[in-house]
Amino acid sequence: MEKAPPNYPSAVNLISISDLCLSHSLCVSGLAAAFWAARSIYYIDLISDPFRTLRHFFVIQAPIVILVFSRFRRDPEQCSYLKAMIRGVLGTFAGALVNALVAIALGAPVGLNYLPKTVYWSLLISSLTFVPAACVFGASWKDWRRLFAHTKPVDLVDYMICVPAHGAIVGSWFGAWPMPLDWERPWQEWPICVSYGTMVGYVAGMLLSFGLTVVKSEKQHLKKD
Amino acid sequence: MDKSDKWRLIWPVMVIMVLHFVAIFLFTRGFLLTRTELPFYSTCSDSASQSPCEGGFNSTTGCWTKPLVQRVVIIVIDALRFDFVAPSTCFQEKKPWMDRLKVLQDLALTQPSRARIFKFIADPPTTTLQRLKGLTTGGLPTFIDVGHSFGAPAIVEDNFVHQLVQNGRKVVMMGDDTWMQLFPHHFEKSYPFPSFNVKDLHTVDNGCIDHLIPLLHHDDWDVLIAHFLGVDHAGHIYGVDSGPMVEKLDQYNGVLERVIGILEDHSGPGGLHENTLLLVLGDHGQTLNGDHGGGTAEEAETSLFAMTFDKVHSARTDPSSSDLHLDKMVCQSSIQQLNFAVTVSALLGIPFPFGSIGTAEPELYALVAGVEGLNRSSFKNCENESDLEEWMKNYATVLCKNSWQVKKYVDVYSAASVDGFSSEDMIHITDEYAQAQQNWSQTVKILQSHDNKNCHTSLPALKGQIDAYSRFLDGVAELARSKWTEFNVKMMGAGLGAMFISLVFHFLSIKRVMDFSPCGASKISLGSVFAFSTVLIRGCSFLSNSYILEEGKVANYLLATSCILQLRYSFKKNMMLSEAVILLLLTLALRFSIEIGLSKQAATSLFMNYYPSWLSWFTGDHPFWTLLSVYMPILALLLVAYLIHKSSFGFTWWGISNYVIKLTILSYMLIVVHTILESNVLGLPPASEYYRRVVIPQTIYALGLGKLLLLAIDAFRREGKVLDCYMSLYRKTVMVLCAWSPTIILLSGSKGSLFALALIISGKCMMRLKIAVEDSKGTSDGLLSSCLSQVTQWNLLAVCLFFATGHWCAFDGLRYGAAFIGFDEFIFARQAALQAIETFGFSHILPILGLPFLVADGNSDQGRPFLLFKKISLAYLILGMISAVTVTFTLMCVSIHRRHLMVWGLFAPKYVFDVVGLIVTDTLICMASIYYVTCGR
Repeated sequence: MEKAPPNYPSAVNLISISDLCLSHSLCVSGLAAAFWAARSIYYIDLISDPFRTLRHFFVIQAPIVILVFSRFRRDPEQCSYLKAMIRGVLGTFAGALVNALVAIALGAPVGLNYLPKTVYWSLLISSLTFVPAACVFGASWKDWRRLFAHTKPVDLVDYMICVPAHGAIVGSWFGAWPMPLDWERPWQEWPICVSYGTMVGYVAGMLLSFGLTVVKSEKQHLKKD
Repeated sequence: MDKSDKWRLIWPVMVIMVLHFVAIFLFTRGFLLTRTELPFYSTCSDSASQSPCEGGFNSTTGCWTKPLVQRVVIIVIDALRFDFVAPSTCFQEKKPWMDRLKVLQDLALTQPSRARIFKFIADPPTTTLQRLKGLTTGGLPTFIDVGHSFGAPAIVEDNFVHQLVQNGRKVVMMGDDTWMQLFPHHFEKSYPFPSFNVKDLHTVDNGCIDHLIPLLHHDDWDVLIAHFLGVDHAGHIYGVDSGPMVEKLDQYNGVLERVIGILEDHSGPGGLHENTLLLVLGDHGQTLNGDHGGGTAEEAETSLFAMTFDKVHSARTDPSSSDLHLDKMVCQSSIQQLNFAVTVSALLGIPFPFGSIGTAEPELYALVAGVEGLNRSSFKNCENESDLEEWMKNYATVLCKNSWQVKKYVDVYSAASVDGFSSEDMIHITDEYAQAQQNWSQTVKILQSHDNKNCHTSLPALKGQIDAYSRFLDGVAELARSKWTEFNVKMMGAGLGAMFISLVFHFLSIKRVMDFSPCGASKISLGSVFAFSTVLIRGCSFLSNSYILEEGKVANYLLATSCILQLRYSFKKNMMLSEAVILLLLTLALRFSIEIGLSKQAATSLFMNYYPSWLSWFTGDHPFWTLLSVYMPILALLLVAYLIHKSSFGFTWWGISNYVIKLTILSYMLIVVHTILESNVLGLPPASEYYRRVVIPQTIYALGLGKLLLLAIDAFRREGKVLDCYMSLYRKTVMVLCAWSPTIILLSGSKGSLFALALIISGKCMMRLKIAVEDSKGTSDGLLSSCLSQVTQWNLLAVCLFFATGHWCAFDGLRYGAAFIGFDEFIFARQAALQAIETFGFSHILPILGLPFLVADGNSDQGRPFLLFKKISLAYLILGMISAVTVTFTLMCVSIHRRHLMVWGLFAPKYVFDVVGLIVTDTLICMASIYYVTCGR
């Protein structure tokens, strides 16, 4: 098996632990803020108005993710902050298309009345999974494969991209399970429970990646000492 | 590779098959209660010529019995709980839905000599169709009534509606259209309304009311049946404790008030309803959630309200007889639904249905006759008891005929049915009957000698006689119940145990095959973990009725997941990406096909409501869709034919193989012609109709059979020749698929070729993806794990194809039309075979027979025959194991849910389909192993 030896510009390795902490908490608090705002400002939630709530989540979360991750771009010499952001925006839509197709293959309802909800759900999950990688790696096929096919994160930023993304995907997969049950609860509708799964998985992934970050950086400190 | 090697690989498969058969047999005996429907009918003349009851007292003026009523109004209220009708004082606390049918309660409490409320006890399965069958035939319908009707639910057994019609009575029906399914040609007039839309509370009821009220003023009917559905639907949607339910009950109260008012108005001497009986009854109860089907008290207990409008009789009894215990009596007196058919027949004076095992109900009989009945009267004073004596004589005669008829049925049933009653039980029954009958002749003598109205001797004698008959009839009913309504849990446990033993054996056989040539401990890879969890998830999903209903979608979800993992794997290896994507796209296509199937299922299922909104885009009559639906299948057929033709390139084929290929291509061309003729795009003259309907299908079947025969001859002939094993296997697989596929495609209808193409393409993709796996791991190291994940995926695809081809696990999921492609008349074995091929074609036959393509691989297996055959038998063992594990889960879930309310509607059909599928799988695996695992050296 070929192993891509990490060949990063030195700048990336110099990301401080506090920087990563801040980024983690920004991403999680973005979702929390979206939740709070939806509830107390717009008086909507996923169950009563999934379409507007998902749009709201996306509008708040996507810019945060793009802004945070564009700072960690892999090739700062060739790629400006702005360019990384543009990559992120493009990645959002490409990722949404892929996610929507996969969701439909898995059985997500198709139809005009579901279309807006599907679109915003896939935009949201795309901003949690694709966008970070798009901002950081751009179109670097090798890095994408390393993270999403081999699941071999090397440095701390890798963890921060890879673990929450997998969390969000696995969470969505499990989130679909209650959908066929005949409990006749409103939250069983597409895409409400799947969205809950996505966000729970994402937050869990973030916490895990944060834990790993702390452990790893302590090890590095020990090595340095 | 000699004979003993082959035998070493094959024998476990056969042992497993036998174990499965034993397990299925045991479990089925315990779980699926079956009853044979007998095509015999009672006739008027039977009684006079055969029954021992003639020559007693009372020469009968009617047919079998003296009619007591002329007309009957039967109002069926679906899912009428007992506490809807009975006064709330019968229950611990008053609930909002109680005391709503005030008019019935008032009548029962103020005029107990004319109107009574009974608890009406149903036998499971408590579903409307089975209950109506039970009510009219007086039998105990089981889940599978083995009979001569193939699919159509029409009653073939004798029943009182049939007897009414035979004896010149006119029957009018309105309401639930289930009656029309059961009695398609019996009614003089009928006003059926669709019953399947559970959300619609009013159509059936309003239709009923509109026709019921005017008809009550008419005199052109003898028996009127009105079936209201609103309460049932309200229960299903809102539950019992809900506003709509109370509204419905209030509405019925009004309707019943009007009905009784009209009947009362016409009940004067010489009036239209002088001699009319009103019966308001439920077919079954319901739980507080509105469910029914099982055997719990809530579901089984419904109510019967009976009221006679015969003023002469009712005046005779003492009006002041309503005592303080009336309330208690209303709460306690009960009638079995089993007894309904015979009682109504006796009251109307028509022959009792042949298959009835009920008893003429004394209390109902007494009510109509206007006497107090057995339990309430004392024999103390002899005066004024002439009425009672007269009634008892009548009733004893009725019971005599009743017992004679039941005895006759039991005798005939035991003689005609494969598993009748045990001889021990039969001796017991015969004894009881002989005793009662002996008693009868004595009683007749006593009564004739004491013609001087000595009630002190005659009444106890009659009472004793009635008791003797009742004992006999109760004994028969109890026996029948134990045979037809109770699960045999021990048998079910034994079956489950046998299944577990077979699983252990299966596992050991897989291990044994692995040990034949040591190939290193196989690592636990992601693929095998996924395979295990897929099988487990699918198995556990059968625990819930919702997942069973949407099993196709669940299978598709898992298949798509496996495809996504495969895509990820290809992405990782950076090879075969396009194959993985094609596989995923095929899954997407299957998903839409499955949804079409689901929407068809929802149209007939009580439990689900499903209509994907995208479906409406295709329903338009745009010519584009019609063209597409004609040319797509033809295109696919041509493509399949081309692929088969192509597969024969580059190899040296001998005579027989050559013929088989040519015949197959000919069959495909015939199917193309068939499709074109069917769609009628060319506008050919109707003369071609015969060719389309008969000649082409029969030719294709004949060609298929001929090809199989050729292959069998070929297999025997070539035993001695030396041949490259891989090539020989490849050739055999192509040949077998060639032999089967045209028939299956033809039977599956116009979409068949598309599914065949999908199967070929996905098989090809999976094969190539497997090569990707093996290339990276080395040939033998990951043999088990690669085999496991491949076969699991293949099995998931097969399951998806079952649902995608428009099947589902219910008997209305069978496509009965397919059995008659090419034939007009019905011959059981032939049509059943066609039906089986159609049902299991794409999901079992083709995937199992095509499995060698998936595992064998020309590069690594050439020149290593034993490894090749090891792989093949391993793959078959794994495939068998997956099916067996799934079926074991089904058995466990069915056992756990045997008291579930949907056990008959959902779990039992699922069980039948799974078990038949397992039998088909085992047989095919066995045959395939014998055929494939030989090299011909």
